[in-house]
Amino acid sequence: MNDSDMRSILKCVRCGTCRSVCPVFDVIGWESASSRGRMLVAHGLSQGMEADEGVFDSINTCTTCGLCEQMCPSGASPVKVIEDVRHQLVLQGKMTDAQKLLRTDAIEKGNPLGEEKDRMAWLGDSKNDVPEKADHVFFAGCLASYRYPELTKRTFDILRKFGVTVLQEEVCCGSPLLRTGSDPSELMSKNLEQIRKIGAHTIITGCAGCFTTLKNDYPDNIEVVHVAEFLADRLAEMDLKKLDLKVTYHDPCHLGRCNGVFDAPRQIIKSICYLEEMKSNREKSKCCGAGGGVLKGYPELSLELSKNRLEEIPKDVDYLVTACPLCRTNLKRGGPRVDVLDIIDLLEMAME
Amino acid sequence: MQKSDLLKKLQDIVGNERVSASAAELYCYSCDASQVRGMPDFVIRPANTEQISKIVSLANEKEIPVTARGAGTGLAGGAVPVEGGIVLDMSSMNRILEMDLGNLQVTIEPGIVQEKLNDALEPYGFFFPPDPGSSAMCTLGGLIANNGSGMRSVKYGTTRNYVLGLEVVMADGTVVNTGTKVTKSVAGYSLTDLFVGSEGTLGIITKATLKVRALPKERSVLLASFEDPEHAGEAVVKVLSSGIVPSACEILDRNIIEAINTYDPHIGLPKAGAILMFEVDGTENTVREGIEMIKDACSTLATSIRAASDKKERDEIWAARRLVGAAVSRLDPLRTRVYVGEDIGVPIKELPGMLHKVGEISKEFKLPIMTYGHIGDGNLHTGMCIDMLSDKEWDKLTKAADKIHLTAISIGGTVTAEHGVGSARAEYLGLELGKGLDVMILIKNALDPKGILNPGKMGV
Repeated sequence: MNDSDMRSILKCVRCGTCRSVCPVFDVIGWESASSRGRMLVAHGLSQGMEADEGVFDSINTCTTCGLCEQMCPSGASPVKVIEDVRHQLVLQGKMTDAQKLLRTDAIEKGNPLGEEKDRMAWLGDSKNDVPEKADHVFFAGCLASYRYPELTKRTFDILRKFGVTVLQEEVCCGSPLLRTGSDPSELMSKNLEQIRKIGAHTIITGCAGCFTTLKNDYPDNIEVVHVAEFLADRLAEMDLKKLDLKVTYHDPCHLGRCNGVFDAPRQIIKSICYLEEMKSNREKSKCCGAGGGVLKGYPELSLELSKNRLEEIPKDVDYLVTACPLCRTNLKRGGPRVDVLDIIDLLEMAME
Repeated sequence: MQKSDLLKKLQDIVGNERVSASAAELYCYSCDASQVRGMPDFVIRPANTEQISKIVSLANEKEIPVTARGAGTGLAGGAVPVEGGIVLDMSSMNRILEMDLGNLQVTIEPGIVQEKLNDALEPYGFFFPPDPGSSAMCTLGGLIANNGSGMRSVKYGTTRNYVLGLEVVMADGTVVNTGTKVTKSVAGYSLTDLFVGSEGTLGIITKATLKVRALPKERSVLLASFEDPEHAGEAVVKVLSSGIVPSACEILDRNIIEAINTYDPHIGLPKAGAILMFEVDGTENTVREGIEMIKDACSTLATSIRAASDKKERDEIWAARRLVGAAVSRLDPLRTRVYVGEDIGVPIKELPGMLHKVGEISKEFKLPIMTYGHIGDGNLHTGMCIDMLSDKEWDKLTKAADKIHLTAISIGGTVTAEHGVGSARAEYLGLELGKGLDVMILIKNALDPKGILNPGKMGV
């Protein structure tokens, strides 16, 4: 274990604040499923505890939502410790089948979904009609490319009016591997090479997982913005009409709490219709339950987390809006009483 | 009995999903927020009294220690299984069983978190007053077992004042009910009072009927700044002697002020040698009058006095105050708050002297000691932060804590005003209680002859 992780573990005074906010602990109830417990398990591993099934379940059920870290009074960094422990275990060849599959698919197929189809099929006829050089490049991400191709195409249709291009051979950004302890450098290099060739100084993405990875794990000299940020700055140029709707907004953890992007999506929503906040929002927003490899590794837990988040939808709203395809997917799994929209869906409704 | 046979028997009682012997889980239950450690053999999350009765009965027969645990937020090792055995994690027994608000009472299971009870009471205009800093995480079972209190105890008293009756599983598995729904009763020994604060050494609390109070119409917070903690201590004596009973009276010293401002820069507490935070609640008139009386009492000693501007500021100040015990760790990246010697209580009149003494101990051991706490009832939290990897600092901390404890006892105080004895402070009980400890041991032996209930705690 590295020094900074050990220091972080020693910072934890075990006050239990994290336990009171951890959405996973709220479902599971055993101490090992709280951030405090995970810090203890990490400490146990450093003292020679064997990495058995109990350890895997403790360390791998964290969605890396970061609410514990946000609320921690003593300044510990549980998410970093948990991700580092996952990495150390993977280096020793200790991982779950879900982690293995995710890694193999991401590296061999370029996406963690195991898809072998043409990733860029969403571009349709536009495939041969995108600029080879541009200042801005749209990074679609795996889930958007394969599961929401129409939305992705429509997103790009809006962006291309502002001179944005795409990576013709985009692969997974590496986020699922980073979150679950594997090495994403091969994937990152492939993307970086193309970004450099295009000459782009800014990457635009609509996925919170891609956003945090591109922003924090790719080289510093590339600016990364979320689609919502890019378009919030250009609302005046978009001729949007007001809609008689009331919507609520789910902050994706890796966009909001982890990177501070709270205002841009709200600015777009408020320029179109009425926004009523969810019970927990912004820095204290509850996780949708999909992140950190939990949807893949613990789908039943992930479903319960989604249901709990959906209980925070205010009464009488027409839609739940979010800004991440992974959040959207899991929130839909939870059986919401209103439809879940991507922020681009809402924007398009106001453009029609 | 083989461990595997015992596991099978426990699984038969609670089902496979409610018992764990995994290394990860056992490690997680081997500590609380204190420095006490003890590895359990099994952790069980029981669902009801019947299961607990069967578990305790089995444990008694086989002479296996049983330690009850709420949220594990204790600061004295009360929930740490120092002699191994079974940990009963009570947190899944967390229902409100009855809200009998016409009789100003509720009946709850012990695993409910304090704040959740108050969330449920608030729409009806009621609240459960004891409010420790850990109210967002600690369970009511833990609060009752430790007779916890908190910031509003100066007016509202401790948990003991709110427990009307209990359901308790005794060491042989028998289930007994204590107390009554009536607010006063002199029928027999007060068994309820015996179990409150007994830290799970006499029985396992499985149900409690609690008094609740109507929420006050108004609250107001006043911040008074002082040159040093001693002046603040004098002001407290003056305020309390003037006839006003604030609903909270907290002290924050220079370092604690910095810690709060670091944790939430938005709050912006004034820089001072010490701040007293007063809260007055009641009707609009009593609050206004109380605030004026406090201002008058502090006027010759304080360097400045200001009121929180609105409810938002008041709530933010209290939220930050609740977490400051841990937030002092933020002041130095290499140091961590260690809860040792942190909970003394002294008679009100002795406060200025005790605060001065804490300053001297800090100088003697060259160890910064931060002071905060419920000064209105003489309860001081002395906070020490050390480099956890330095044996030298651990040694200094232990010696400073010992001196703080001995000083408190020597002036008629206590080593623990609200956090509990556990095993962290057990060694001082003989000195503080004298022959009283012998009586405690007699009671313990009578109720738990095999010593299976939370052994190694409270000096019994």
